Amino acid sequence: MILNCEDQLVDLFGATEIRSFLMAKSDNHEGELDVALVEGSIATEEQLKRLKDIRERAKIVIAIGTCACHGGPQAMKLGEGKWDEMYKKVYGNAKITLSKAFESQPIDAFVKVDMYIPGCPIDKTEFLGAVSKLVAGKHPYLYKFPCCTECKWKENKCILYEGRFCAGPLTKAGCGAVCPSHNLPCVGCWGPTDDLNVSSEYELLKEKGYNPDEILRKIRKFGGAGVAKLVKDLESKKEAKA
Amino acid sequence: MRELNVEALARVEGDGGITVTLDGKKVKSVTLDVHEGPRLIEQLVKGMKPEDDLNVIPRICAICTLSHRYSALLGLEKALGVKPPEKTYLTRELMMLGENVESNSLHTYLLALPDFLGYPSAIAMLNDYGDDVKRALRLKKFGNHLMAVTSGRIVHGENPIIGGFGKYPTKQALEEIKAKSHELIPDAARAVELFASLEYPTYPEAETLFMSVNAPKKKYGYHGDSILISNGKEVNVEDYKKLTNERVVSHSFAKRSLYQDKSFTVGANARLINMGKRLDGQAADLLKEHYSDRWLKNPLFNNLAQAIEMLWSLEQMPDMVDRISSMDDPPIENPTRTTGSGTGAVEAPRGTLYHHYDVKDGLIEAADIITPTAQNLDDIEKHMKLTAERMLAEDKKDDEVRLNLEMVARAYDPCISCATHLVRLKRI
Repeated sequence: MILNCEDQLVDLFGATEIRSFLMAKSDNHEGELDVALVEGSIATEEQLKRLKDIRERAKIVIAIGTCACHGGPQAMKLGEGKWDEMYKKVYGNAKITLSKAFESQPIDAFVKVDMYIPGCPIDKTEFLGAVSKLVAGKHPYLYKFPCCTECKWKENKCILYEGRFCAGPLTKAGCGAVCPSHNLPCVGCWGPTDDLNVSSEYELLKEKGYNPDEILRKIRKFGGAGVAKLVKDLESKKEAKA
Repeated sequence: MRELNVEALARVEGDGGITVTLDGKKVKSVTLDVHEGPRLIEQLVKGMKPEDDLNVIPRICAICTLSHRYSALLGLEKALGVKPPEKTYLTRELMMLGENVESNSLHTYLLALPDFLGYPSAIAMLNDYGDDVKRALRLKKFGNHLMAVTSGRIVHGENPIIGGFGKYPTKQALEEIKAKSHELIPDAARAVELFASLEYPTYPEAETLFMSVNAPKKKYGYHGDSILISNGKEVNVEDYKKLTNERVVSHSFAKRSLYQDKSFTVGANARLINMGKRLDGQAADLLKEHYSDRWLKNPLFNNLAQAIEMLWSLEQMPDMVDRISSMDDPPIENPTRTTGSGTGAVEAPRGTLYHHYDVKDGLIEAADIITPTAQNLDDIEKHMKLTAERMLAEDKKDDEVRLNLEMVARAYDPCISCATHLVRLKRI
């Protein structure tokens, strides 16, 4: 997505000293860093080693994208213990000598993360805004409210009123409510929002008649570790009630 | 034993590497290692509703996101008995033209070109080749813009759905696309001129087979119901497994493909070899001018092929916009059954992409996705091995060998997320 900032790409390379950017250039230097932008979830020992090395070298680590922040779609079954079985179905008994693989997890499962810029894909405006603040030595302003807020700004008709499940209330803002603006329900690709009590919002949707399993199934597509935590909270509440 | 090592294969999409093992001057092996972690997407979508699958599978790749979506739509619509209306069909075609321009401009200029001109990145070329870099960014931005207009946003737009679109592009947005595509045609023609003027080393040259879709109505295009092979054979897409025979190798989390025990190539060069006679306009003239038998042997010509294709894509847009603008928005076509199977095949910028689905009672029972880079991996290794052998026989320096190996790998426009970072030369 960073390479998609065509109008700002030249300025971005001018305002910062890009030490390493594998997709964009081949003269990369791996040393001390002010800021490391880490994308992707962690699914192999080799990736974990690289992540820990980056953490040691960087003053600020920013998780960018829903995979780094929450684990991404590949973490949708976290906590269900089905990964080994699924892995076998894809690769059979073939031995892959490259690096040991495991179920994908967000980067904060392994190292301290200073900031999160989620999104699948990340939003240009939020990303460039954050970089501008960092260049000026300020803390970036990152969205903390749900997708619904942006949807209201756009004066869209609420999809939930039509009886169609929309992940907007449970999902972090940043995309500009793009799906509801196309008359489509939010798919939850920014992962769970953190400014509200997601579990009480979930209860509210249940009261409104939405199938609870369906809600979880829909938000798990991108919610990874965040939704796995929600499921755990819900279960412990249920147990407490019983 | 010696090891020639390119620790990180930069300027490709995804995480992988190349290991070359040498015994004196003899090349023992060349492997393209895929380090991307396994995501098990095909397993994860099992039990999902088709609409949910469509949210997840484009995330396999942020570059060919719309190819994944389109291929899945074709497979799922066949499975569910959906015949999309003409306007839907044409709007999808337009969206694929946008992805082609975006991805081909990114790969040719920003990822491949720096090697040929001796720079570490396109950004480093700014002082000496500023006009070309800016041209690339204009083309790429426009491709992205068209993807946003049709699919909802520049990456992972959710607007194309089963049986239609959430919202069709407005007439005004389409008119802007038409005007802009006209304006950018000279930029794309200049790209063809530039990539035709480059010197393509002969080291990787060897015969191979090329596969692409057979686009409908004997036209050039980016999807089809059958596959053309450069040996003259044609195979129905539903029989894709006969073509791709996936297998697992120890140095990669990406699976491999062989056709009748032989490696093959997919991509823009394969499309132009199989369907190039169907081109029209300036793209047809330039293909005729620059095509040679070397295309059949040398993967580096894929860069030139992508430039020609980018021009063709732009040339198609004005007419396609006129046709779409003349139609009213149709209602969304609903599934006519809940159980069935279907295979979709589209030409992602980097080659043929298959999505096969079995749907039972409205839920996905099995999904099989075969990506272009997975199909190309064996041919990439074959042409890299030849390059290493021939260059070492000429006593070329390690750095030069490394650069040439990377150029071969990059020429395929590998998408290592869909399959890399590392060339390593081992000497025994």
